Amino acid sequence: MKFIVSSSALLKQLQQISGVINANTVLPILEDFLFDVQKNQLSVVATDLETVMKIQLEVEAKETGRVCIPAKILMDSLKNIPEQPLTFNIDKNYAVEITSDNGKYKVMGENPDNFPKDPVADDTNSFTVTSAALVTAINKTLFAVSNDDLRPAMTGVFFEMDKKGLQFVATDAHRLVRYKRTDVSCPKTDSLIVPKKPLTLLKAAMPVNEDELTISYNSNHLFVTHGTTQLSCRLIDARFPDYKVVIPSDNPYKLTVNRTDFQGALRRVGIFSNKSTNQVVLSISGSQLQLTAQDIDFSFEGNERMKCQYNGEDLQIAFNAKFLIEMLGATDTEDVTVELSTSTKAGIIRPGDQDENEELLMLVMPLMLNT
Amino acid sequence: MNSAQRIIAHFDLDAFFVSVECINNPSLKGKPLIVGGRERGVVAACSYEARKFGIHSAMPMKTAMRLCPHATVVGGSRGEYSRYSRWVTEIIAAKAPLFEKASIDEFYLDLTGMDKYFNPYQWTIDLRQEIIDKTGLPISFGLAGNKMVAKIATDEAKPNGYLHIAFGREKEFLAPLKVNKIPGVGEHMYQALRNLGIETIDHLAAQPIELLENRFGKYGADLWNKAHGIHHGAVVPYHEAKSISTENTFEENILDTDRLLNELVHMTEKVAYELRQDNKMAGCIAVKIRYPDFETTSRQTTIAYTFYDDELIPKAKDLFHKLYRQGQPVRLLGVRLSELTDEAVQTNLFSNVEKKTELYKAIDDVKNRFGSKSLTKATGKK
Repeated sequence: MKFIVSSSALLKQLQQISGVINANTVLPILEDFLFDVQKNQLSVVATDLETVMKIQLEVEAKETGRVCIPAKILMDSLKNIPEQPLTFNIDKNYAVEITSDNGKYKVMGENPDNFPKDPVADDTNSFTVTSAALVTAINKTLFAVSNDDLRPAMTGVFFEMDKKGLQFVATDAHRLVRYKRTDVSCPKTDSLIVPKKPLTLLKAAMPVNEDELTISYNSNHLFVTHGTTQLSCRLIDARFPDYKVVIPSDNPYKLTVNRTDFQGALRRVGIFSNKSTNQVVLSISGSQLQLTAQDIDFSFEGNERMKCQYNGEDLQIAFNAKFLIEMLGATDTEDVTVELSTSTKAGIIRPGDQDENEELLMLVMPLMLNT
Repeated sequence: MNSAQRIIAHFDLDAFFVSVECINNPSLKGKPLIVGGRERGVVAACSYEARKFGIHSAMPMKTAMRLCPHATVVGGSRGEYSRYSRWVTEIIAAKAPLFEKASIDEFYLDLTGMDKYFNPYQWTIDLRQEIIDKTGLPISFGLAGNKMVAKIATDEAKPNGYLHIAFGREKEFLAPLKVNKIPGVGEHMYQALRNLGIETIDHLAAQPIELLENRFGKYGADLWNKAHGIHHGAVVPYHEAKSISTENTFEENILDTDRLLNELVHMTEKVAYELRQDNKMAGCIAVKIRYPDFETTSRQTTIAYTFYDDELIPKAKDLFHKLYRQGQPVRLLGVRLSELTDEAVQTNLFSNVEKKTELYKAIDDVKNRFGSKSLTKATGKK
């Protein structure tokens, strides 16, 4: 088999999917890309058995055929080859010879029949969403996903679908993010949990524009299609915790602050906090918010005051500064409101003003103050 | 190498827990006194008067009470012990150039090079006197060319004494001692050596190193070196406890996975209790397994900061399952908590941490009053 392809076009496409491949895999063939040539069309697949990504591009080819090519060496060479047409020659024993203006390179491929099969997209439900909406949803939720393998349900983002919208929820039991889109209509009321890795890959591969993505799912898999790029992944088979009951509906106190000022203060004061707990104490009194942190082991102390609007009783509450900084980073409005009740109950962060078809709610649990 | 001759002092507080109890209650002085849990517990420490009856630490309390029914038993107060321990640490820290706190009542000081300006022996005698004068606690020390010999010297100097082993006289000093005086030789090893007809250290030193290596592996060579008074362990500068750990060498190797898991639960409970007593939380947990051939493996994982049994135990079990080679007998099992930090409890969305904290306070109150083993998980019971 022989085909000719532009080196830079191939590299650009492969970079979208090479993230699927793990550095240390159990099966050596998982370190390969599957190349499949059909009528001037090359499709390339990468998989880790959980997540599969596929791209397609135009090539010049007279024959059809398939081969597995080791991903790392191919990527490394493409990165160093200047833009030009490359000729790939594959013989019966799956030896791959790449010819460029600069010279010839040879690498041993593998039998494509040993490459894992794609999951079958049968019995699916589908809906469409703009690429920008999905990328935004991932950006706003992914950071709150748990890394605790003992609680698999929380290691992914919970998708909740119904006819009136699509909702994304992520939590690690210490904080929770709920992001709702009302400009999407799903065929029926349903839910699923998508693992972290495919979402990270999607975030990098999908453009932030109004392109339409098709999302399909069945009981085991999620399929996302953008033009000729496809991703499929296995879903997390677990029950997502009943998060609705833990969102307080009656936090009486409202604290409104400038988002960037608040984030800046947390960043500065947080440097002086205990490195493991990142504890920053917020003392709110009238229109003044005081942030304090200390690390007893090193005798570090940080202290700042800033203006705020507050309608409640004087309150002292401690949070992990890292959590707050990440949450403020997931919002883009000028002001944010923090709804509070007591020093041991959840605080709710909302962006100042939101677009009409999206709604973001973030919840953060405090650190207990020992007195 | 001789130009770099080291000078190491080993300090050990005599019957530390007992001494502290006597300071707080002078009427106990001179009486057989046992510190440890009542009822089902074991002896944590005992006075020299109690030792005359054959009582020793780690002995079951029941046996101890049979040996000496009129002994006074006190529950012990960890907080008080660590307060005194810190006091001694401060005195040493103010004087010693480099020291290691090996345990709550044990210190190694590296005095290498000090002989240019002082007489290290006199300096150490003065330091010991200062500790006794200030704290009122009896303390012994051994001075020698390495940590191991210094420790054995302290052991020989006790109670309330000191001993200097001059360079080159290590072998002479060690020769008549029983092999179980060597740190690291426990009941198990002692029996194994006696079965080979080895009773004293000079006898051990006279064995060909290959024999010990064949019999005990790398540990055998180590042992041979120790018998010759050779030990290269460095004095590691003192830091506040970086980890809390416990390990258990079983009397008989254990093959039963359920029993190992029970043991693991029990040990995790123990270290978690100590962690809470120190007002610390741990961010890393490790499990260690040693097989009968002394092959030792361990595995660790980072965790969200916690000090609760119910969060630590599943992690320990998970590590155990990933580490343990099914069907192999186990000689030693250990649990270590590290990445310690000051208590700051992160509340949780899905479990009521406030209530849980109260529960553990209640559990620890019981443990403080009746001994750390008075209240354990049913699975942790033997």
